[in-house]
Amino acid sequence: MEIRPVKEWSAAIMINHWAMALSIFVLIVTGFYIADPYTIYQGETVDKFFVGNMRYVHILFGIFLLFIFIWRLYLAFFSKFHADWKDFFAWLDFECTWDQIKFYLLIKKDPPEHCALYGPMQSLAYSGLFFMIFVILVTGLILMGAGYHAGMTAFLYKIFKPVENMLGGLAIVRYVHHIFTWLFILFIIVHVYMAFWYDAILKEGTVSSMISGVLFEKEGK
Amino acid sequence: MRGSDDYSKAVSNHYKQLMEYCKINQERLDRELPPPREDLNDLLAERGVSRRDFIKWTSVMTSLLMLPPMFRPALATAAENFSRLPIAWLHFAECTGCTEAFLRTSYPNVADIVLETISLEYHETVMAAAGHQAEQNLEKCMADFKKKFVCVIEGALPRGLNGQYLRLGPKGKTAIQIAKEVTRSAAATVCIGACACYGNIQAAKPNPTDAAGISKVLGISTVNIAGCPPNAVNFVGTLLHYLMFGGMPPLDSIGRPIWAYGQRIHDVCERRSHYDAGEFVEEWGDDGAKKGWCLYNVGCKGPYTFANCGKVRFNDSVSWPVMSGHGCIGCTEPGFWDTMAPLEKPIHEASIGGGERTVDNIGLVLTGLTAAGVAAHAVASAIRHKGKDEEEKHD
Repeated sequence: MEIRPVKEWSAAIMINHWAMALSIFVLIVTGFYIADPYTIYQGETVDKFFVGNMRYVHILFGIFLLFIFIWRLYLAFFSKFHADWKDFFAWLDFECTWDQIKFYLLIKKDPPEHCALYGPMQSLAYSGLFFMIFVILVTGLILMGAGYHAGMTAFLYKIFKPVENMLGGLAIVRYVHHIFTWLFILFIIVHVYMAFWYDAILKEGTVSSMISGVLFEKEGK
Repeated sequence: MRGSDDYSKAVSNHYKQLMEYCKINQERLDRELPPPREDLNDLLAERGVSRRDFIKWTSVMTSLLMLPPMFRPALATAAENFSRLPIAWLHFAECTGCTEAFLRTSYPNVADIVLETISLEYHETVMAAAGHQAEQNLEKCMADFKKKFVCVIEGALPRGLNGQYLRLGPKGKTAIQIAKEVTRSAAATVCIGACACYGNIQAAKPNPTDAAGISKVLGISTVNIAGCPPNAVNFVGTLLHYLMFGGMPPLDSIGRPIWAYGQRIHDVCERRSHYDAGEFVEEWGDDGAKKGWCLYNVGCKGPYTFANCGKVRFNDSVSWPVMSGHGCIGCTEPGFWDTMAPLEKPIHEASIGGGERTVDNIGLVLTGLTAAGVAAHAVASAIRHKGKDEEEKHD
């Protein structure tokens, strides 16, 4: 049996992945503080700007996430290494999906042969993540646009204002924003676990592949 | 600086044109409208408001309506003409609180006195007529001032049982029928209060009468003076704009005049600095409450609410909710009541499905379950795939 390194991820995808991970982490922490701020009792009012700073960081990383997301969509269609937009529909191969579920439920010992970059359940999860990012970006831009009336924010707020009216006001927009934060937390738990699980079961170096870009395939099997 | 010169020239040209338009329109209204019923100047003198105070008030209203000072005389004329504008005031599913709020000011300012000169052809709360006589007044108004009177509606329309939850008058017409007839022959429809605008409490869950706001039920565009109750200034200003320019002021995407509802409570709040500093009232009557800190944690809905309450205030500009120490409840927003609940806690602490569960409780439980599921799966995988390495080595 031979072990052969295969380049799985381009540098752009890896940078994109970790930039997105960092943004999401910062956004969750600052977001929960903004949702439920605690009082800073020390010092004079004039010396304090804690919520203001938290909102600044939140909005800054929100805008980072917006551009990282646009960049990721660009890579999905125009990446020179591997444009993977088709791989997000891997779950449409239902037979393979069913086998994959059996593999996850430990009924089968070996995974089905993947014809796409992502496994069928993986493709479903990542499509869901993209949808979640889209919703949280739109609701976030609406909440941001309600308070800032210049530049790109104002322009985007004009575009998304009908969405706000459709949902029924800023209060609901903010509630949806809050709910989707929890979905991100659930995603992160499962995503990190599955990465380590794959690493442990298939021993292809799944976890390190997001840093080195290389998966180790076993030949002669 | 040439660009800014061009800009100021364009702006002054724009206002000059607007002024011309205003003059033409006021002449037209002079011909069309009936003579004034009350002399505003006499009434002001009677109430002890000097000419100087009146002029001061016109300055305030002009700037509130986002117009330059040159429109002050036109606005004064419009205020004097206020009693000439025929108005039919309809009441549907509501508490009459808006009328009460307009009528019962203890120290009426100029806006309230102007409002007193209002020419009500029909108003169920304050009219002397009753029964068929009252009905005749409304029909006469609709016939005499066809497409000239303004229909003011207070209250939501119940749509359930074909509208039969609300029948009014000696002929027992449903509210929807009356609203359709009157708005059809009116020059414009102004909705007063959150009920007429978006349904308010009548439309709150479970909404047994299937009530909704006027524009949603009738499918017409209305001018929404939202609030529970709205400020009299917003109503008077909107009608003054009509008397000056013959049309309603620019509206936002859900029908509220931008001059009054263009800014968010949170952005013009006098307690905003405490929000940015991270100083919050954590419970009623604590140290923060005494120091006037931000009311977000006790449920202020200012961040989601567009209104000018903080600027014009209530009761002769004495105070407004946030100033008096209670958070904004968001009464000018569509879906008010349901979407703003709970009124004294932040929105994410709303209970879900009855009881005390909030979205954060559910999120924490789901996170715990996911973690437990992941751990169980890890253990099960370890057992199931045990000895796999040895097998592979044998291969």
